[in-house]
Amino acid sequence: MVMKYAWVSLAVLVLVGCSSPPPAPAPKPMPSKLEGMWSDPPATAVGTLCFFACTDAAIDRLNALLDDPANDARPFPQLAAEAQKHQQENYVRPRLTEAALKTYPLDPADDPGFLRCEPWGLAKQMFAPHQLEIRRTGDNEIQLRYGEWEAVRTVYLDGRAAPANNPPTRLGYSVGRFEGETLVVETSRVAAGITWWDAEHSDQLRVVERFTRSEDGNTLNLTATIEDPWSLREPVVTKKIWRWAPTQKITPYDACEPATEFKKGTSEP
Amino acid sequence: MRVRALLLVMPLLVLTVATADSHHAFSPVYDAKRTIVVDGVVTQFRFVNPHAMMLMDVTDKKTGKVEKWNVEFAGRLNLEEAGWTAESIKPGEHVKVTGNPTWKGSQRMAFVKLVRADGTTLEPGRAQRLSAIEEERRQRAKQRSQGK
Repeated sequence: MVMKYAWVSLAVLVLVGCSSPPPAPAPKPMPSKLEGMWSDPPATAVGTLCFFACTDAAIDRLNALLDDPANDARPFPQLAAEAQKHQQENYVRPRLTEAALKTYPLDPADDPGFLRCEPWGLAKQMFAPHQLEIRRTGDNEIQLRYGEWEAVRTVYLDGRAAPANNPPTRLGYSVGRFEGETLVVETSRVAAGITWWDAEHSDQLRVVERFTRSEDGNTLNLTATIEDPWSLREPVVTKKIWRWAPTQKITPYDACEPATEFKKGTSEP
Repeated sequence: MRVRALLLVMPLLVLTVATADSHHAFSPVYDAKRTIVVDGVVTQFRFVNPHAMMLMDVTDKKTGKVEKWNVEFAGRLNLEEAGWTAESIKPGEHVKVTGNPTWKGSQRMAFVKLVRADGTTLEPGRAQRLSAIEEERRQRAKQRSQGK
């Protein structure tokens, strides 16, 4: 009888021993639909319009122009420029505060990236052309790596809040979560800088990005809602498209040379 | 030196799409409304970011004087998308390059097209992109005419 209890006790001990310490929680799997290398958008009219960044205002305008037979003989870049101009005057400008309008649109010759090779801040970098690589770099952390400027953003997925006392930085502090297969990234603590629409913004800038993969798997779509009480009366909702590009690589970005000759007063579109 | 200034054939093509090619607008440096053609020998091709660069010697056929020209491209990040490599342009090659001149008229241009001595050409990725878009427009117009 004693021996029987001893064997049972031993078996219990072994079982307890095997299950202790408790196993670490398995990493929350990132939806593989987003992970990998993305790059320039498909060679479509809308993809090209949104090569850098665009809004629904520009997309709708471009589609209206393309649907009008009167424009069939006009070159596409002319139509794209008209759609961008429409976006600038009818979507962006009405959203700007008096403070932002004082310098809008900024002269491209004053771009610090052009003049001094200063990397972009978040409000341009998140729409950078070319490569974007999305990789899980920890159980609760992913990285967004961009070809342009070799910029790297870390997104924390562990539910933390952005530290209130962190000084603002060029790319800000990003926290995120998955809503189904959509990656939602919220960024704050961004240093004052320049937006993709060539206006100044303050360090109160906040951005919510929503990344989704298309049903056919070929494109990554971003909708970014940008708010800044200093420069914007209401949010600017921006769209961006990348194409699945597993063979693309991010190559060194190490040969930037500050501008040596330029003319002020030129503008695009 | 053999530089021919041409009236622009496709100003808006460059104006709109060049912005997307690069880390900054080309407009402060280059006049997108004009193109020039330069004929010379490649001395160096730097396949780098944010902008690839080509140096070439351009000889004035009358005086024999050699001028150094600099051709600025989109960056390697962009050119690789269009299938370019570091070997796409080789030192010693005789090439004819079309590009946008600088506002100041310096010996520098923004790349539009390159023709080698054997007649083969190199164009930026945006040329392929625009060709695909024109096909999309033709299909769109066809569907429109069919009442779809």
